[in-house]
Amino acid sequence: MKNAFLRYIILRVLQCLMVIFVGITVTFMIPRFTPVDPVEQAITRMTMFQQSTHPEALEEMRASLATLYGLEGSVFEQYLGFWGRLFRGDLGPSLSSFPRPVMTLIRTSLPWTAGLLLTSTIIAWSLGNIIGAFAGYFHHKKWSQVLGVMALVVWPIPYYIFAFLLLVLLAYVIPIFPLSGAFAIGSSPGLNWNFISSVLRHGFLPALSIVAIGFGGQFLGMRSLVSNVISEDYILYAEIAGVPNHRILKNYVIRNALLPQITGLALQLGMIFNGAMITEFVFSYPGIGYLAYTAIFSGDFGLIMGIAIFSIVAVALAVLIIDLLYPVFDPRVKLR
Amino acid sequence: MALKIENLRAYYRSSEAGVATVVRAVDGVNLTIKENEIFGIAGESSCGKTTLIRTLSGTIKPPLEIVGGRVVYDIKEKEVDLFSLRSSEMRALRWKHVAYILQGSMSVLNPVRRVIKTFEDFTEAHERITDRKAFREKVNKHVLDLGLPIDVVTAYPHQLSGGMRQRVAIALATIFKPPVILADEPTTALDVVVQRGVLQLLKDIQRETGNTVVLVTHDMAVHANVADRVGIMYAGRIVEVGAVEDIFQRARHPYTQHLISSLPTIGDRTPRSALPGAPPSLANPPEGCRFHPRCEHAMDVCRREVPPMLEEENGHQTACFWANREAVS
Repeated sequence: MKNAFLRYIILRVLQCLMVIFVGITVTFMIPRFTPVDPVEQAITRMTMFQQSTHPEALEEMRASLATLYGLEGSVFEQYLGFWGRLFRGDLGPSLSSFPRPVMTLIRTSLPWTAGLLLTSTIIAWSLGNIIGAFAGYFHHKKWSQVLGVMALVVWPIPYYIFAFLLLVLLAYVIPIFPLSGAFAIGSSPGLNWNFISSVLRHGFLPALSIVAIGFGGQFLGMRSLVSNVISEDYILYAEIAGVPNHRILKNYVIRNALLPQITGLALQLGMIFNGAMITEFVFSYPGIGYLAYTAIFSGDFGLIMGIAIFSIVAVALAVLIIDLLYPVFDPRVKLR
Repeated sequence: MALKIENLRAYYRSSEAGVATVVRAVDGVNLTIKENEIFGIAGESSCGKTTLIRTLSGTIKPPLEIVGGRVVYDIKEKEVDLFSLRSSEMRALRWKHVAYILQGSMSVLNPVRRVIKTFEDFTEAHERITDRKAFREKVNKHVLDLGLPIDVVTAYPHQLSGGMRQRVAIALATIFKPPVILADEPTTALDVVVQRGVLQLLKDIQRETGNTVVLVTHDMAVHANVADRVGIMYAGRIVEVGAVEDIFQRARHPYTQHLISSLPTIGDRTPRSALPGAPPSLANPPEGCRFHPRCEHAMDVCRREVPPMLEEENGHQTACFWANREAVS
């Protein structure tokens, strides 16, 4: 029993590592299959305003750029070098904001994204599921139907339109919230009330837009899950036996309907490391999504790869964790 | 008397695209069920058996509607009209006085909760559990008394076999030793060996506590084995009631006769005759006696009038003009 449990965990961890390995390998390969040569691009950029450059100096520059970008030798040698640097936590320099290392850029952006998305995803998920469960269980009540219609109206609005609407309404027409950024310019980052309140004020609109749309999806999903569960015999039986409604809702309805939603939450949390590109773009929020956006537009392969690697690892870990935790939520799933 | 059903009519009303349909699942049922007996209700599929027993349990959810009649329970020498109860009184009545074993009891247990937790939920709906340990011991004793292995208490439903789940459902229904147990097809999904065990369990509980069991099943062999009296239901009505020997040996209603004669007998190799036709739609039942389109003895009066329930002897009642032709004429 104990052994089987251990074997299961080891197997799952290996599987997870395998996924990460394959994912990272693919992200390594893809830029090398594109016709764009970052070294040549850099050379072109540098020589653009110079009339002539000594060919020997040019050759030397090419070589040192190749070393810098990790583009020396055969693809296989590059690949080995890439893993070696990865294990030392070195993702190479960013090409667009050269010579700052990719790691530093990600490290400055990640807290903003994580803070914004972690809170808003969890709030949207909890609210959507709790209210969705109530609405599904009391589906014949008036308020439940009204809520359902509201969610159905809000949810299909394209996110970028909704976000712009919020921004225009609450930051421009009625300027309660700031238009852009993550904190007021001039306030110094630190654990003081000024800075924290500024962060909260700046984060409110992006968070609100994510919560509103995320809530609609979770609400509708949970409501239909619940309406399936309440037609199960064990619900009817508990009702006939006179088990109080709140207890049926908690222990019978939600416990069963929540199972697929838990998987959804784990995946969403893993996706956080992708950043929320549209949110961060609309609200000029300095997170991973915004970073990725600028990286793509400036052809910054190093940075794109760095972000991709982070998100591969995060999603794979999220799946691993949910796999290991799932038997706690659903006794029918056994670790085997 | 344990319970009395008086002219009970329970219909399913629904309307689709403005067209209202009424399915008369239970249409004028009269029955008196005695204390300390196993009363069997037999009949084909879709004859209203499940609706009848569901109505008896007071589980009336739309589209099911009570159109008329009464269900009267005898609770501590007092007559209680089921449909006059408020929902809190109904809740108090259920499980303590009337327990209901659902059709398809295999899936009545919450898949994510241990069996003991379901026992706790069902018990706490009616009384406070002050001492968890004592309660656990009570459940253990109850389960052991019913001859189930003690492990079922801590198991999850998916770890139990179908027969075991059915037995757990019965244990769950009898935790308060209710005077009336309503059992809807408790053995239908089980193989015969397991069936025997489940039936024996029901029988033992009944013998021991002297309560009343209303057993609904289409399986005549089950009735022959466990029931004391049997009511035959056809198209929403009871057509014949009698002691189990009377029903099986002296069936009077042509429908009952067909049911009995279709049963195989050991040593008899002659082919069994089948009843021609299909049961009528309860949305649009035939006039008069509902069996007349399939009946070889049908007379003119059968097409016009509903036959009254007449008693022959020993409580053996039949609603049939042909069977009662001497008494009527």
